[in-house]
Parts: sequence; structure tokens; C-alpha cells
Amino acid sequence: MNVVVCVKQIPDPAAPQSLEPSTNTLDRSGKLILDDSDAYGVEMALQLVDKAGSGEVTLVSMAPNGEVAGLRTALAMGAAKAILVSDDALKGTDALGTAKVLAAAIKRTEFDLVLAATESSDGYTGTVPVQIAELLGLPSITFAKSVTIDGSTVKVDRQTEAGYDEVTAPLPAVVTVTAGVVEPRYPSFKGIMAAKSKPVDQVTAADLGFSAGDVGAAGSGQTIFAVADAEARSAGEIVVDEGDGAQRIVSFLEGLKVI
Amino acid sequence: MNFQASSEQELLRTTVASIAQSFGHRYFVDQAATGGKATELWDALAEAGFCGVNLPLPFGGGGGMAELAIVAEETAAAGCPLLMFLVSPAICGEVIARFGTEEQQRRWLPGLGSGSSKMAFAITEPDAGSNSHRVATVATRRGDGWSLSGTKYYISGIDEADHVLVVTSTGTDPLTGRGQLTLFVVPTNAPGLSFTPISVGIVATEKQFTVTFDDVALSDDHRIGPEGGALRPLFMGLNPERIISAATLIGLGRYALAKAADYAKTREVWGVPIGSHQGLSHPLAKAAIDVELAALMTAKAAWQFDEGLDPAEASNMAKLAAADAALVAIDQAMQTHGGNGMATDYGLITVWGMARLLKVAPVSREMVLNYIATHTLGLPRSY
Ligand SMILES: Cc1cc2nc3c(=O)[nH]c(=O)nc-3n(C[C@H](O)[C@H](O)[C@H](O)COP(=O)(O)OP(=O)(O)OC[C@H]3O[C@@H](n4cnc5c(N)ncnc54)[C@H](O)[C@@H]3O)c2cc1C
Repeated sequence: MNVVVCVKQIPDPAAPQSLEPSTNTLDRSGKLILDDSDAYGVEMALQLVDKAGSGEVTLVSMAPNGEVAGLRTALAMGAAKAILVSDDALKGTDALGTAKVLAAAIKRTEFDLVLAATESSDGYTGTVPVQIAELLGLPSITFAKSVTIDGSTVKVDRQTEAGYDEVTAPLPAVVTVTAGVVEPRYPSFKGIMAAKSKPVDQVTAADLGFSAGDVGAAGSGQTIFAVADAEARSAGEIVVDEGDGAQRIVSFLEGLKVI
Repeated sequence: MNFQASSEQELLRTTVASIAQSFGHRYFVDQAATGGKATELWDALAEAGFCGVNLPLPFGGGGGMAELAIVAEETAAAGCPLLMFLVSPAICGEVIARFGTEEQQRRWLPGLGSGSSKMAFAITEPDAGSNSHRVATVATRRGDGWSLSGTKYYISGIDEADHVLVVTSTGTDPLTGRGQLTLFVVPTNAPGLSFTPISVGIVATEKQFTVTFDDVALSDDHRIGPEGGALRPLFMGLNPERIISAATLIGLGRYALAKAADYAKTREVWGVPIGSHQGLSHPLAKAAIDVELAALMTAKAAWQFDEGLDPAEASNMAKLAAADAALVAIDQAMQTHGGNGMATDYGLITVWGMARLLKVAPVSREMVLNYIATHTLGLPRSY
């Protein structure tokens, strides 16, 4: 069982962020770390390979400046190797362009399953994994809250607003996982020490067969014209309990459709 | 000269920090108050293999003192200073790794390396604190083995340890009249070994004990190093203990300064955040400088230790500088909090005791200054 996990390396969400004024996109030139959302996919992949008893986990990432810090975290968790696509020509690539690049990188590996997060914590489009599936001609299942393999079939409990759907697909397939799917392990000291010697294959857009204009800002179908501050959060409602406190909280939660 | 941490060290730092932060100071205080230990935190760190990172690779380590210092610092920076790091992997682990036989290493180091077993360290006695030449716990030959008798006190964590490394006297040097010291590893459940708690007013998850050895029988394979030859292993082992004390203090200093900065940014008394008053911001800035300077000296000491250079001067300097810096940082953080600085909920008064302890132990400020005066400056000994 070979599993590819798409992992994104993002600016530390705890640090202050800024937008590049020329493109209105997030400034990703500083130090990047593993997107927390991707730790779930990595953990899920490790568990599936472990259960299968053979195979390995390969990471695929696209990041500027040859960044490997986030990959090292995932390698320290136990992934075997990584493909990093890093190229100045990729600057300004939109979601579809990213999917094309990642799909081309994934094609370089032997895989039974591709895992990705439902969405990244810095981009939030939530579209890349399904685009990858389409480009690879594979079935895709999103919002997995549990993933099991049965022979050549992947079985997924797919989170919905009402509950969950049980969905199956033939392998190979693309599955996106939620934060509920498994509890990611911490990298162990052994894993941390081993991570440095694990192979990271760094490739360029040209290595993957793209020419200038296919990818990057030029190949991007998306332009961000303007950016506005999010609306300031309004003050919450204070419920003074006059005997009906519990009921009012229940109605509030019902309004949110959470109960 | 290179001040850049390796990518492994960075990942070790962030990982230990996230594990320790998932417990946090509240957990630490609750465990200390109820007489509990930091078992869950220790086990979580042990599960990831962080409790004995300094020990040799075959025993679950593979890093060095620089790595153990990162573990101790980040755990303390999350508000959970653990004395067991100073004692078990740092002093006991290094002494056995460097002076134990292969068989002794195979027996004790896997547990210390994985963190599945802890070892306490017992040198202090009522009449032998700063002056360890006066150790009065004696080990006498008994058949092929030994019998230990005597009393140690202020021994941290012996109740959570499977073994204790004990400094004993096995004779008197006829020329100097000083005790000839010998080291033994003693199982804490050995017949004749007993301990009773000492009430200590600091918030810590390790408790301190008076430990009595009443004719404790040991086979000779419990002796570490040559008979009467404990000074070399001790001088070696006390350096890691100082380095890890310093690292713990730096973690505490950072913890206090982070709290102070947060508070000073939001608390307003005269319509502006109190952090805009230089009367508060400058002392905090100065404290941050001193903590960082101590961290540099600690890194130097750990590096020297790992490179096989003599780290004694740097370890002593780091320990004193870190204790002074941490205490000033905590004190100024408390001042910044006004009355809230005294409230246990604000988590400052609850780390003060630990930092204050580390000004006295494992080596007192005065003994460090004695060392620097004689060794660095070549001044005459005062005692
Ligand atoms: C909470 C706690 C935990 C501890 N854990 C352990 C442990 O796990 N294992 C262990 O073995 N011990 C432990 N100790 C003991 C600790 O290491 C000693 O308390 C410390 O080394 C000081 O020794 P002492 O208390 O005998 O002080 P003393 O030696 O009596 O010193 C008293 C004072 O005199 C000063 N002084 C002494 N000689 C000189 C001199 N020549 N010049 C100038 N000043 C001098 C000292 O600096 C000190 O200020 C612990 C202590 C505490 C409080």
C-alpha cells in the first residue's frame, strides 16, 4: 500500500501575516511550516500503510525557495520520502495551476491512494484535491472522518451536515480528510533524527513538463483585484438567565444548526 | 562560530513545546498541589523519545546535552519545570554512560534513555551539602559485595524513581583526611532503604525526601567506577546537571517574560497599556537581555560538553547567570502584574520557588563564585 499525501507548507499562522501588494496574495517568502491540517493526512497515511504491512508514505508539496521545514516535520512523523516542487516560475500560481503541478508530481510515484486535507489553513479554497483527482482521472471522496482499505476499495465515512455518508471507491483514489479523522502523532526523537537523511526530490516546473505561461501568475486564470478587511466581529449576545436561560441557549444553538 | 540551530534541533524544540503546552502550567500546579507527579507529561515526552535524548543512540538517545537542554528549556517555558531532567538523564545517565561497565549500561540506560525508568541522585547530607568531601554515608565491604549505611536528605523524586545513584564514602584519604567517595546504583525497593518526605514550600511535581540506608546490601556490580574514585565521574556529571538547571531556568525566564509582555500590552491603568510606561518596559527589556545572555552561555556549555571539551567554567557561569536572570525576570513579571502577581491563577508566584531553588541547588551561587574566583581568576581559595 503506497500512499501519497499532499502537504502544504504555510507561513506560521501564529505569526503576523501580510499580503503582497502587487498580487494581493499571502506573502509566503518567510519561513514556512507544515500546515496543521495536513498532519491528519500524514497520520492517516502512516496508519493505513502500517495496517497494510507494506508500502510507504510519499509526500508531495509545492513551496517557494526550496522550503523543506514542513516536509521534515512530516518525514519525522514517519513518511518515507518527499517530492518538492519549488520554482520561481510558480510564483502566483492559482488553485487549478497548483493542482496541475501536484498531479504531475504525483504521477512520478507509484501510489494506491492520494490523501489531502479538506482545505489549507492559509488559502481555504478547498478545491485543489478534487482538481487533482480530475486531472489524474481518479475518483475522489471529500470530508473523510474515517478511512479504511478493503482489498482494492477505499471505504470512507464522509462527514455531512446531517451525519455521515458511507462512500466507497475503487483504488487508486483521492480522499480529503477532516481534522477528526485521526489524532496526529508528535514526531519522535528517532523520527526527527532520521528525517534529515530521508530523500527529498526537488523538481522544477520544467522537470514536470510545464513551460513558462502554463503555470505561475501568467498561467493563472485568477486575479485578485481588491482585498478588504473582514468585518469586525460584533459583540456577542449576553443572555441574562431569567429562568429561560437554558431554553434561549438551545434556540441559539438550533439556529446555528449545531443541535 | 555558528549560532544557527540545526533543523533537527528546531523540530525538537517545537515538538517538545507543543507537547508541554498541551499540559501547561495549570496542569503542573494542580499535580503539585495534590501531591501528584507530572506522570502524564513525562510519559507523553517519553513516548516521543524525548526524556533521554542525550544518551547514546543504542539506549534510545542519539543527541547530546544541547538536545536535552532544549527539552528541559521548552518544558519549563510551558510552565512545567521538571527537576527529574537534571537528575535522571543528565547526571545519572551521563555518569553511567561514561563510567559504567557495558553490562551496567545495558542494565540501566535503556530505561533512562526511554524515560520508562527514572533514577534519583543522592549526594546531599545534613553535614555534607556544599562540601561533599564530608559525605558520611558509608559503604563497607561485605563478602563479595557491600553494605550501605547513612542518611541523605533533600533527595528529589526518589519516590518516583526505580533506582538512586548514591555518593558514599568508602574510606578516608590518609594524607588529606577527606572521604574517598564511591558511587553506587541502589534499587529504591532495596531492603534497608527507606525515605520520608520533607515539607518544601515550592511548587514542584517532584517531592524531596530524607533517605535512610540501614545496612543496605548490594552486589559489587552496583558500584559505578572505581572504589574511592567517584570524584572524576562526579565532576563530569555535575556539569550536565548545571547545564540542565540553566536550561530549565531559561525556560522559566522566558515563561515569565512572555506572561509579563502579554499583560503589559492589555492592562490599562491611565488609559494606555502599562507596557508603554518605561518604568515597566525597560526592566522587562533588561530581563530579556539577561535571559538571552544566559541562554547563550548555556548553549556554549552544552556544546563544549558534547564536543568533549571541558565545560566546567561555562556550565558554572551559565547556571549562575540563568538563575539570576530567571529570578529577575519572574520578579519583574510579578511587579508588572501588580497585585495579580501574587495570585496563583496568574502563574508567576507558582514558578518563583522553583527558580529560587535553582539559585541554591544543585550548586549554590556562592560555590559557583568560589569556582570562578579560583579557576578563572586564579585567586586564592577561601576554604
Ligand atoms: C528542593 C530541593 C531539591 C534538592 N534535590 C536534591 C537531590 O535530588 N539530590 C541531592 O543530593 N541534593 C538535593 N538538594 C540539596 C541541594 O543540592 C543542597 O541544598 C545544596 O547543594 C546546598 O547544600 P546545603 O543545603 O547543605 O547548604 P550548605 O552547604 O550548608 O550551605 C549554606 C550556605 O552557605 C554557603 N556556603 C557554603 N560554603 C561556602 C563557602 N566556602 N563560601 C561561601 N559560601 C559558602 C552556601 O552557598 C549556602 O548559601 C535539593 C535541595 C532542595 C532545597
